Amino acid sequence: MLGQIFAITIKDLKILFKDRAGMVMLFAMPGMFILVMSVALQGVFDTGTDDKPVEMLVINQDNGGLAGEAINELRDLGGIVLIDEIDGQKLTLEKGDRLIGSGEYQVALVFPQEFSVSILAAATDPESAQATVTFIADPAASPQFLAPVEGAVQGFIQRVAAYAQAPQKIEAGFASLAEEAPPGQGDIVSQLGTAFVDRLEKVGGLDGSGSLGVRFEQVAPSNYQLAELPDSVEQNVPGYTILGVFFIVQVLATSLLREKQEGTFRRLLAAPLSQGALLLGKLLPCYLVNLIQVGLMFSIGHFVFGMSLGSSPLALLVITLATAAASTALGLLVASFGKTLEQIGSLSTLLALTLAAIGGMMVPTFVMPEFMQTLSKVTPHAWSLSAYQDVIVRGLGFAEIWTETGVLVGFAAVFFVIALCRFRFE
Amino acid sequence: MTEVILAVKDLRKSFGGHNAVNGISYEIVRGEIFGLLGPNGAGKTTTIAMMTGLFKPTSGNVSFTMNGQRWNSSDVKPRLGLVPQEMALYPTLSAWDNLLFFGRIYGLRGRKLRERVKIVLEMVGLADRAKEPIDSYSGGMKRRINIAAGLLHEPDVLFLDEPTVGVDPQSRNAIFENIQTLNSTGLTIIYTTHYMEEAQRLCDRIAIIDRGRVIALDTPGNLINSLGGGLIRLGLHNGLGKTVAHNGRAHPEVRDITIMDDCLIVETHNPQKALIGMLDIINQMDVRVTSLEVMEPNLEAVFLQLTGKSLRDN
Repeated sequence: MLGQIFAITIKDLKILFKDRAGMVMLFAMPGMFILVMSVALQGVFDTGTDDKPVEMLVINQDNGGLAGEAINELRDLGGIVLIDEIDGQKLTLEKGDRLIGSGEYQVALVFPQEFSVSILAAATDPESAQATVTFIADPAASPQFLAPVEGAVQGFIQRVAAYAQAPQKIEAGFASLAEEAPPGQGDIVSQLGTAFVDRLEKVGGLDGSGSLGVRFEQVAPSNYQLAELPDSVEQNVPGYTILGVFFIVQVLATSLLREKQEGTFRRLLAAPLSQGALLLGKLLPCYLVNLIQVGLMFSIGHFVFGMSLGSSPLALLVITLATAAASTALGLLVASFGKTLEQIGSLSTLLALTLAAIGGMMVPTFVMPEFMQTLSKVTPHAWSLSAYQDVIVRGLGFAEIWTETGVLVGFAAVFFVIALCRFRFE
Repeated sequence: MTEVILAVKDLRKSFGGHNAVNGISYEIVRGEIFGLLGPNGAGKTTTIAMMTGLFKPTSGNVSFTMNGQRWNSSDVKPRLGLVPQEMALYPTLSAWDNLLFFGRIYGLRGRKLRERVKIVLEMVGLADRAKEPIDSYSGGMKRRINIAAGLLHEPDVLFLDEPTVGVDPQSRNAIFENIQTLNSTGLTIIYTTHYMEEAQRLCDRIAIIDRGRVIALDTPGNLINSLGGGLIRLGLHNGLGKTVAHNGRAHPEVRDITIMDDCLIVETHNPQKALIGMLDIINQMDVRVTSLEVMEPNLEAVFLQLTGKSLRDN
């Protein structure tokens, strides 16, 4: 039986490598996407790093001092350069708006006049009016560029606001205690609160340093995210590789249907060959092609673009085996539904592109709305990409990618079982 | 002494309530060319699929006798060869690669495999084109490679399912010669076709199949002789077929008349005299003739007599 499976595999590989259109689809197309998209989007993904910082206009209209404090904090944030003066003149809202509209800059940060007042008022009265900090963004700017920048800035502003509100909240807390104190002791509690705040300020406890500052730093969400996001190559190489891997769906489904239509299945099944061996022989070459695709595309990523392959080749291999299993099983599933080559062609293309788009192969999931991020989890693509990026971006290893590979194997098993129930050799 | 190699008993196959094969029985003798003749959709291919073990029969059974023992189809698969109706080849591969692949599926390896590929290529006369892709072959050449692929493993029984469909006359003759040569070596051949000329030329015995049933089974000579001199098919206009048939049966040159829809099928020893007699009757009754066909005694006429329709009508 092994000899027969091997014979079918060799035959299908010969047929596949003679099929120029198939080769283009499986190798040239994802390779071309990787080359073009990695270069084309390099600016977008790399913006926001120390090497290529984001230039952000800052318009400070605040009548108080908190916006100034926030701006000073932001100047220390790597990857962003704040511009609050042009030609020696302080930026105004009109000037900033014009500069963004003309496309000279992509984003401006506007602090409103009531920024300080609103934050301090909110410390004691949560119902008071909130200050609105506005980002003026170029509509043509990529969400991949804007999302992390805005997230980081928001995090710092929240921290400054929290620091500013802290003394008033403490005093308010003691005032509240004073009201509930036994008769004659309320003034003592109130004076204790004021003295406590004074003492804290003297030891620097509320100026953003010390343990209090560390706590607020951890809350800042974007600073954390920026360090974990993939760059252009780390997004596009695995992303378009996975897209290409799933093009095998069409190749496999078409091959199976042709065998049925052209009578070769009939001839093979009239031979002393089991249906299981025949099916294995058909799946194996596609599986091998998937492995070759990943090897080739990741080699391009590594040797042409300098993409890191992480520290665990074993983890990459396991992810690749699981991804290839999901794609070949999906190919069998499509073959079990398609009655004509046209049906298989349109269904495969629809699946390949839709699942890739939803799964974050073309646009990263971290810039998608939350419901799209949730939706992406129903695609094997998203799990595969997440697993690859865990290894090549986050440096994780074999032990940390079990969830993703488990889900991929689950996808493969479900596709395979449904396909087997539906598939007919005649 | 004749030795039965294949026995088919009350074979039936249904697909979702449709009876594709409806109780077929026959025995095939070792070394003969046995024909299954019938129109498209008669159930020939389904019958072959059951004989080769591709389909399980809904009921009935197929048994082979080899080495003095009875076997079912799946037991003797390595000793059966199937040439499907479709061009069951890989068009982008060369004939050589196609044959190597099918040989490996039958367990042939190494030098033995290459020798067998050479032999079957010589047999079908395409050794000099072996390295060219099947895509570049004519329809007839593809058919010949299709047959060669069924011979690689030297089967005891070869099933040929409509092997000449879409083939030019020259290639068809080459295929006939191949089949006769193979049969002369003792190979048992089961040959399905809807071309009566092929069945008549090649087959030792013929089972005529229509709507999943065997409606006649004999040698071509006996089947044709059963007709006598020939057949006349008369299409009549105004529904007086019964009266015309009744009067016609009294004519001395008419053996029998069968009514099929608006047609009369007239069996006769002497078509010319019977035709004159029938036209006299029709004229006297003032019935309008809508069609008229006089057929020589052949398998087409046998099929018409048995079913009231032509093989080519289907």
